[in-house]
Amino acid sequence: MLLLGNEAIARGVLEAGIGVVTTYPGTPASEIGDSISAIAAEAGLYMEYSTNEIVAVEVAAGTANCGVRALTAMKHVGLNVAADAVMTLAYIGVKGGYVIVTADDPECYSSQNRQDSRFYALLSNLPCLEPSNPQEAKDMAISAIEISENLELPVLLRLTTRVSHTRGPVTYGKLTKPNLKGEFVRDVKRMVMVPAHARPMHVRLLEKVKKAKEISETSAYNRVVRKVNGELGIISASSAYNYAVEAAELLGLEASILKLGMTHPLPEKMISEFLKNHERIIVVEELEPYLEMQVKAIAKDYAQNVKIYGKMGRLYFPREFEFSTRKVMVGLAEITGKKLPVDLERIDEEYAKIVKDLPSRPPILCAGCSHRASFYVIKKVTGEKAIYPTDIGCYALGIAPPLKVGDILICMGASVSTAQGISKVTGNEVIAVIGDSTFFHAAIPGLINAVYNNHKVTLIVLDNLTTAMTGSQPHPGTGMTGMRSPSERILIEKVAEGCGVKYVKVIDPFKVKEATAILKEALQQPGPSVIVFRSPCALMVAREKRRKGVEIVPYKITDECTNCMACIKLLGCPALIIKDEKVTIDDTSCIGCGLCISVCPYDAIECSGNG
Amino acid sequence: MKEFNIVLAGVGGQGILLAAEILGTAALKEGLNVRVSEIHGMAQRGGAVISNVRIGEKVLAPTVLEGTADMLLGFEPLETLRNLKFASEKTLILMNNEAIAPPELTTKMMNYPSLDEITEKINLFTKNVVVMEAAKLAEKAGSILTRNTVLIGGLAATGKMPVQTESLKEAMRELVPEKYTERNMKAFELGYKYVKKKAKLGNF
Repeated sequence: MLLLGNEAIARGVLEAGIGVVTTYPGTPASEIGDSISAIAAEAGLYMEYSTNEIVAVEVAAGTANCGVRALTAMKHVGLNVAADAVMTLAYIGVKGGYVIVTADDPECYSSQNRQDSRFYALLSNLPCLEPSNPQEAKDMAISAIEISENLELPVLLRLTTRVSHTRGPVTYGKLTKPNLKGEFVRDVKRMVMVPAHARPMHVRLLEKVKKAKEISETSAYNRVVRKVNGELGIISASSAYNYAVEAAELLGLEASILKLGMTHPLPEKMISEFLKNHERIIVVEELEPYLEMQVKAIAKDYAQNVKIYGKMGRLYFPREFEFSTRKVMVGLAEITGKKLPVDLERIDEEYAKIVKDLPSRPPILCAGCSHRASFYVIKKVTGEKAIYPTDIGCYALGIAPPLKVGDILICMGASVSTAQGISKVTGNEVIAVIGDSTFFHAAIPGLINAVYNNHKVTLIVLDNLTTAMTGSQPHPGTGMTGMRSPSERILIEKVAEGCGVKYVKVIDPFKVKEATAILKEALQQPGPSVIVFRSPCALMVAREKRRKGVEIVPYKITDECTNCMACIKLLGCPALIIKDEKVTIDDTSCIGCGLCISVCPYDAIECSGNG
Repeated sequence: MKEFNIVLAGVGGQGILLAAEILGTAALKEGLNVRVSEIHGMAQRGGAVISNVRIGEKVLAPTVLEGTADMLLGFEPLETLRNLKFASEKTLILMNNEAIAPPELTTKMMNYPSLDEITEKINLFTKNVVVMEAAKLAEKAGSILTRNTVLIGGLAATGKMPVQTESLKEAMRELVPEKYTERNMKAFELGYKYVKKKAKLGNF
């Protein structure tokens, strides 16, 4: 089967007989949970989209400590959220196998930072496996469960974008019936981490690391995959390994290659042998010099004369951005003095001529996106004078002109809290924006803080009734669970009221007049206020219409149009385009939201259907 | 065959990822090793989307090295230009002429460049270009959304693919929702015939 790395992990879940899967969606990890959600009920396992990553880890920690195998999937920054639980769960350990999957995004395709999650393995002392392709992703998910049960310790499975989002052939193994029935055996000294218990459990954890090191020394995932007679050796792991092999081949390098699949703890003996057998070692890894630092430490003890090249001191490979065959090939050529087989200089020269005037095409809010209506209302009321802390989700795209809403963005939930600090010291109007799923994930403690400390901020929750950016996953406000069964919706306005917010309103942002009046009123409040702008995600609306066979009727521009460009200048909707120097509505992308009607000063836009 | 590299490029929402999955699945059906790279999430929303399909026994990397694409399947003219660094004089480019104006052009009130200007630039890299009216053909097949299968049909007709046309069709039947199979088959045929005709005229 041709599977994405993420889908392959979902297959691994089924083959390993994992009973519980918890996740919070995040690119590039989302499809792990989504693939499981689609089949969970049928496969007889339990799956949930937890409210956030630490909750996901804690739920799974509970099940794994009752002997039920579990897996939690998240993106790299999700592991920051979960870190508090992970660090101490490492002391407690598990009874049933438990895998924590985290996916790094080295190119920042869809993230607020790039971080090398392997350092969490060093920090927490948990074993770490790193697949380089979908087949390995599946195999390692199963091995991680075995290692976890052997050591009674959670295991990290670290992916990168190019493992998660690469399709490759995957051979299926046998399915194992998931076990969902656990038993809680009281063991206070092992599981209640008060200081008196934590001290000895830390010692025990370090003993487990020693045992893990023995596993790493004999693991089939750590091996010399190419052995040639010569003084040059390459050490690589994860997606970087693929580029390293192809680049070495293209350059015709005579080099042995040590591939590492279990990267914490590292197989010290195996690496020291490899170092002793070579005069020069090249470490090829994406992001931080995680392997290189440790390989250099090993060299100091076992092979002082070996030369090690990588990205410390002199940088032969970049620490920023993701790798490619090109980048690795250039680095290898520089170290070895080999000639490049492709004339990159000529390509760059010719390509520079082409991209010189090429307009960029950044991601934008979709045509019909309700966030556009919300941002339009916000800008109409407060223009440039308010400050807009924003948050993680599609609405971060609101920073693009002409809307330009979004002045500071740190992490999930930070909008509401940074707003309070800004408001405290500037006296400016501060309007924080956050999505619905992100509200449940991380905004509630911040909101309580605003109420209790009486910070004058307005929080606008852009409720499009789904977790849009990551592919429309459900959240507590949607009335649907990861098992695809209905549940009672938790309403954001009720949560806000429960937190003690005195001014809470709900409005459809496409009702521009009413929404404007409400925002003006909210800004007059002496303390914090919350407005829920509620309107479903445009992609969801279009999909639903297509599914039901309802025609999507685009709007059109009439002869009244004076070409004043107000619609384009105010909204920046991708369905509003210029054709033959006239404003036109592109009827393949317009989904008929009607927002442009409310901004046209000449009533020159109308629905092309009967409506 | 040493390896066969296909670069697919266009705009989010044009069906690029599905097209790449169809190509990869077809290759796997014939027992060939394959890697397909995708981009998801924020980068996708109306932004430039690129996917690579690499077929060959020794293929490991999911992305194509500059200057080594055998085929460039351009879903949109400007996005075809943006990915020319993967092309060489040996590359065959199949380009949909459906222009989607980037917001930068719209806000600056600038016109989209003409097809002649675009082809001229492409010719700096390769003379092997087949321009397809994929959007028109897709609408003829029943929906603009089938433009990706029109292009795959065109790809099959070039005779350069290392997989059989039947495998491509079979992969498409598997991956497209059943109720849309018919229109996609029609789109495939329209794309296939269109390029076959151009091939006969000696266009490439």
